[in-house]
This record gives sequence, C-alpha cells and structure tokens, in this order.
Amino acid sequence: MKLIWKLLRRHISIGQLVGFFLANLLGMLIVLLSLQFYEDVLPAFSGEDGVMKNTYMIVSKRIAAVSSINGEAQPFTEADVKELEGQGFVRRVGAFTASRYQVYASLSMGGIGMGTDMFFESVPDAFVDHRWPMVSEGEVPIILPRSYLALYNFGFAQTKNLPKLSEGIISMIQMDIRLRGEGGAERHLKGRVVAFSTRLNTVLVPESFMRRSNAELAPNAVSEPTRLIVEVKNPADDAIATFLQQKGYELEDNSLEAGRITYFLKVVAAIVMAVGLLISALSFYILMLSIYLLVQKNAEKLQNLLLIGYSPARVSRPYQLLTIAMNALVLLLAFVFLFFIRGWYLNLLWQMFPAMSEGSTSMTILMGVALFVIVTFFNIVAIRGKINSLTPRRKKLTGGLYHSING
Amino acid sequence: MPRVFRNRTDIHSDIWHQEVVFERGHLYLIEAASGTGKSSLCSYLIGYRDDYEGTMCFDGHDIRELCTYDWTKLRQHSLSVMFQELRVFPELTAWENVQVKNQLMHFKSDKEIAEWFEALGIADKRDSRLGHLSYGQQQRVALIRALCQPFDFLLADEPVSHLDADNTRMMGALMLTEAQRQGAAVVVTSIGHHMDLPYEKTFKL
Repeated sequence: MKLIWKLLRRHISIGQLVGFFLANLLGMLIVLLSLQFYEDVLPAFSGEDGVMKNTYMIVSKRIAAVSSINGEAQPFTEADVKELEGQGFVRRVGAFTASRYQVYASLSMGGIGMGTDMFFESVPDAFVDHRWPMVSEGEVPIILPRSYLALYNFGFAQTKNLPKLSEGIISMIQMDIRLRGEGGAERHLKGRVVAFSTRLNTVLVPESFMRRSNAELAPNAVSEPTRLIVEVKNPADDAIATFLQQKGYELEDNSLEAGRITYFLKVVAAIVMAVGLLISALSFYILMLSIYLLVQKNAEKLQNLLLIGYSPARVSRPYQLLTIAMNALVLLLAFVFLFFIRGWYLNLLWQMFPAMSEGSTSMTILMGVALFVIVTFFNIVAIRGKINSLTPRRKKLTGGLYHSING
Repeated sequence: MPRVFRNRTDIHSDIWHQEVVFERGHLYLIEAASGTGKSSLCSYLIGYRDDYEGTMCFDGHDIRELCTYDWTKLRQHSLSVMFQELRVFPELTAWENVQVKNQLMHFKSDKEIAEWFEALGIADKRDSRLGHLSYGQQQRVALIRALCQPFDFLLADEPVSHLDADNTRMMGALMLTEAQRQGAAVVVTSIGHHMDLPYEKTFKL
C-alpha cells in the first residue's frame, strides 16, 4: 500500500484539494447551520409553552361586497364542516348556533334603567372556557366577552360618568330578558352574567338552552352556522394558513401570526439549505474533476499496475481513502464550527426569549452523516468507474470464469 | 490475426491464420520481423487489447469472454509478462519496483530477490531510482519483477535487446530455472538478436 501510494500521489494538486476542501466545508456548514437554526428557533413559535398558546380559532367565510349589500350571510354547509374536520391539523370543530328570534335585554340599577336589542349565540359546551352553572327554571346564564367589560369600563363609563363595574358586581346584576319569536310568541326570562370569556367573542348561552328556545320560538326557521370554532393541534402549523387561504376563510383574530412566522422561517431555512446543498454539489464536482485529472495524469502508471496483476479495486483504493479522509475531516470541522456558531446565536436568542428551550441536534447530526455517506459513496463509485475505464471494455462484468479455468 | 491485417493477402506466418498451441513445461521462441504484429500478439495474450480476428483460448476458454476480475486473477496466478517497453516505475528504486509486484502475492522472500540482484550484477543499484539506471539495468529489474509471482506461462517480449552476451546468458539461465521449478512454459519473442536457449519450437511470425 505504501509503495502504491508513493506511486499514485504524484500529480496530486494541493491547490485543487484545498479548493474542494473549503468549498465542501462551506456547503456542509451552511446546510447543517440552517437546519440547526431552524430546529432551535421553531420551538419558540410552536408547542405548548411557545409564544403562541391559543389552540382555538374562530373561522368565518370572507364577506363579499355583494352579500354584504343584500344581507345574506355565507353559512358553512355540512360538507364544509366535514372537510374542515378531515384536515390533519384539526382536533375538533364546533358550530356557532345563533338565536333565530329577537332578544331584548334590560336592566335597572339604582334607578337608572337601560335596555338594548341583542342576540344570543351558543357553541358546544366542550368549547366554552368556563363551566355553565346550574340555574333555576326561568333563568338563563350568559357569558360575555371580557373585551365588552373593558369597553364599558374604559370607554363608555368613563365618558358618561357611570360607575365602573367589576366582574363580581356584574355577576350579581339580574337582567330582564324578553324573547320574541315567530307569530309574536314571547318569553320572559331572568338573565345573569356568569363569566367573562377571552376565547369567545360573542354573547354566549348554553347550547341546550339555545336548542330549546329556538325550537320553541322559531320552529320553522332553519339556519346554518356562519362561524365555526376550531380546536387545532398546533396553531403554528403552516398548513392552517394555507388551507384557510385556499378556501377563502377568515379568522377573527390574528391567531395565525405564529403560523405565518413558522412558514416564513421554513421557507428561509429551505432556501439557505438549498444554497448549501448547491455549494456542496459544486465542491463534489471540483473533487471529481481533480481526481479525474489525477487519474488521467497517472494513467500510464495505473495501467502498468493493472497489467502486472493489480485489481482495479486495489489501485482505486488510495484515491478512495483520500476522499474518505477528506470528507470525514470536512464533516468533523463542520460540526466543530457549528458548535461554536450555535453557542453564539443561542446566547442572542436567550436574550430575546429567555423562556426559549434549545432544539434537538440529532436531526443535524443525522443530516451531516447522511451527506457524508452519500457524497463519499458517489466519490468511491466515480473513482472506481474512472479506473475501470482504463482497462479494455469487457463483455461480462461479473467474475467467476477464472475459478472454472483453475478448477 | 490483427484486424488491421484483414485485407492483406501476403501473410505467411506460423501463427496468423494457423492453429497454434502453447503448453506448460515447454520453451518457445517467436521470431518476428518489424511490422509483423509481434507487439499486437503480446497485447492480445495479456488481455490489453482485443482487436483481433479469430479465437484465442486459455484452457479452452475464449479469452474474449474473460472479465476484469478473471484477467486480474490470471495475471496474478498464471501469466507473467516481461514487457518489451518494461512498464517499470522510474520514480521508485530498483528494489521497490520488484516489491510492488512481490507484495501482491508475497511469492518470493527478500533473500531470494537479493540473490537475483546479485546474480544479474545490479546488487549495488538496489536503492537507486530506476529512472537513473541504464536501459539494460532496467531490463534486468523487469525480469526479476516478472519472476516474483506464480505462473504457468512466462511471456518475455524481447527481454535482452539491450544486454551483452554475459548478462543475456545469466538472464536466460535465471528464467529457465524458475520456469522449470514451477513447471511452466516460457515464450520468448525477438527481432534478430535473441537469447541462446534450447528452444523446443520456433515460430516465424
């Protein structure tokens, strides 16, 4: 082996090998770094303890100009709901049911009376972020959005010199509620605000009450839901944004922000990784050219070795070992550089998101090793192919005849 | 017959257009004039080229059917060649040139090889780079290299073109001794000046 190496190392161009080495190192480092950065940053935007925790989304169809003029809402059909339920990111879907009768609520407080037309909506109980309390017959529990309270306290009450209300005080106030349905059917109820919701932006009553009152007061009206509440597995999943965009659905709040950031991050990481892979491919090309040139320059020596009984495998080996050693060194150095660069950017990230946990490195290591194996494999095959091309073309490629000759 | 001779009608040869058999344990001489295809014949026999017409068989197997692996094994175990153009490595020393071959099969001990260097009068050139030796000295190194393997046939292509009578005799003796020891055949080619050996059969190419 030593003698063979002494023969075959002639004409090795240090310049070309250094060029390959640096290019391959750069390519490998970019690929691994983009992957690792992605792995490290992604958890900050997804997962239970991420920036984005809300797994409930309220979906409606986009209101078109025409439908807003003629007053037609755009309800979700049963097929729409089925399709949404079938999506991989959806855990469950609930429909908003609207009251199909008129609601008038009034309250009197310290001699001041006020009343307003309003509406009720309900969602399946499992989607409500509070438990409905038991109430007596003729009373209905109501959940209001927390934002309504803030609106009243800091907007309305302040300018009108009205008292500010706490949640506790409000829950003690009883409202008189009048429901008026088809053909003038009327019902009088007492209403009480039992909780404030941050999740549901509507005047909410229990679903059982809604079903009963709708059947009672508007037995003939049929309505399909215009809003759906969807619980998703991971709000940062970029498939959600894509699906909603495609169907023309809208979200009530910007709960998709994390999904968009994640999507953006994925795109950027993919582009950077593609650049890294391109550089890796080019460096592979440099190495192949360099080795082809080497084989060409040493062709006579290689041929002599083959003619005195060396097998193509054996004369290929020095060059194959050379590429394996170089690729392994590149991999090792890439990991070392990655380690230092990662330490630096993790420090920066921790300053921005102190609660952030670092991602796993296993994917990156796997990727590095896989790249090494693939590149080295093709190197080895290409070198062997080049050496084989020095021998006359044989009809048969498999061995075996020699044994029958000698046997 | 070489393909390039296809259209020639003036071929009168003991080999081309004939059926010839070489067998182990014999000594053959192929005498050739320039341009009769001696180099081509040697290239065909060692599997370096196959631009010929007709059939060449090794133990009844058409050598066109041999694959690279078969040829490698054949060159390691059955067929040793001393090339006319030597095919030695000028950047290695004389000793290393022989070792390149010997370490493939570990057929000869260092002692045996040293004795051959001694016998052929190049013991003092052992560690000189081969490129610095004369062509005659390189021929002797090439012969020693050719003997460092098991073989059934030794093909010596103009082995003594640059040697004096003494060295020619020494080389012939060395070749025959080793061939007899292995029970192998020796096929020598020459253009004019040839080794004075007890050839059993002479072919005119």
